[in-house]
Amino acid sequence: MPYLNVIEIESALQNLAAAYPATTELLEAPNLSHEGRQIHVLRIGTRGSDEVDGILILGGVHAREWVPPDALISLAADLLEAHKFGTGLGYGNKNFPANEIARILDSLNLFVCACANPDGRHYSQTNDPLWRKNRRPPPSTGNCVGVDINRNFDFLWDHLAKFAPDSGVSASEDPCDKNVYRGPSAASEPEVRNVVWLLDTLPRIRWHVDVHSAVPVILHSWGSDQNQTTEPDQTFLNGAFDGVRGRLNDRIYGEYIAPDDLEMVETLSRRMNDAVKAARGSDYGVEQAYGLYPTSGASDDYAFSRHFADPSKTKVYGFTVEAGDNFQPPWSEAEEVIREVSAGLIAFCLGTVGG
Amino acid sequence: MNQESIIRVQIEAPTLADLRAFADEVKPDLGCRATPKQKDGRFSVDAYLPETQLEIARRSRTANRVTIRVLENATAAGRERQKEVGAKNRFAVRGQVPRGLGRKE
Repeated sequence: MPYLNVIEIESALQNLAAAYPATTELLEAPNLSHEGRQIHVLRIGTRGSDEVDGILILGGVHAREWVPPDALISLAADLLEAHKFGTGLGYGNKNFPANEIARILDSLNLFVCACANPDGRHYSQTNDPLWRKNRRPPPSTGNCVGVDINRNFDFLWDHLAKFAPDSGVSASEDPCDKNVYRGPSAASEPEVRNVVWLLDTLPRIRWHVDVHSAVPVILHSWGSDQNQTTEPDQTFLNGAFDGVRGRLNDRIYGEYIAPDDLEMVETLSRRMNDAVKAARGSDYGVEQAYGLYPTSGASDDYAFSRHFADPSKTKVYGFTVEAGDNFQPPWSEAEEVIREVSAGLIAFCLGTVGG
Repeated sequence: MNQESIIRVQIEAPTLADLRAFADEVKPDLGCRATPKQKDGRFSVDAYLPETQLEIARRSRTANRVTIRVLENATAAGRERQKEVGAKNRFAVRGQVPRGLGRKE
């Protein structure tokens, strides 16, 4: 079975919703893509959105990363079929018994947004295979297309003001940057506003996993600077640190994370990695999202930041999975990546419910 | 369809500082998130460079501190992979329900 095109992804979600009405709900995202594509989100769970906690699982943010949307469709189909017929699920050498699958669907809601950036995926699959951004039309003064959705979220979006000039922050204000153009303003992109809408309207969502490729690695908060647990005033909210954030191994600024939050994200990340490894031996590893450079405007940091920016909002732990080691592996290899990522995500779900 | 080919390379260095210095100078596309992997005491990261910039990168000031290994022509590989994308709609009929890759057991 080859890679799914964007029409197939939408049809797959609709057919899953039709086939499993007792355990799904098809949500229509409010914003069409720039090219007019509708994006649907599949809720998976036996209980209502406001009854149990939820996990937002996102795929296809970066157009050239073809495996994640297929992985999320496969995962959704697996969970729904296994739950309906009372079976467990197996991926390579990792097995989940039927009672664990039932526990996930009976005590959580999974919100699966399989392809957040369909315009970009379509362009990558039919034109430039290494296209990463969405397909925002060029500004009136230029001819460059697209915004990096994962630099457009409202988290330290204005990287020129918020980060040290020598931090090397991975973002650009240049619309012609092929990969990391941040967009004209925070959350300017319809694909980003759809994610914000999900988090705004579904306050029981407590975890967000953004599935990308490829490194591979499992990333947890924060991506803006190296974590520290002792200086609570050093946060993305504190303007006194504007212009000094993001430097590697400095002593001026580190992004504060409370010790119990750090333990939570590390534990869940390891849980995911253990299951990935059990599936076929791939050790993705667990890292803080600050890698060689800091990042601004990413979905994982945005999700986690919301509660600190506005305490009335739910605290949402943010993660990014970088699946496999190639953006577009041969389909036979993509299938193996899908299996190991599915195992990791199911283990993550169980970890959130203490299973 | 006439974009310049992008070459996927692995950049390896003995220290993170060396890797960072090279990336600072050459500014390659470092993929989704630039997360170096450590193995056998060395640090590596995959990067994507236009074909014409690969030689420039090899002659850069900091290139003597890194090893650049060509992995593939990512553009050519991607074009091949485009042949593995569904051409129609396998789920056009409502009753065609996707099945996942997990074993139901």
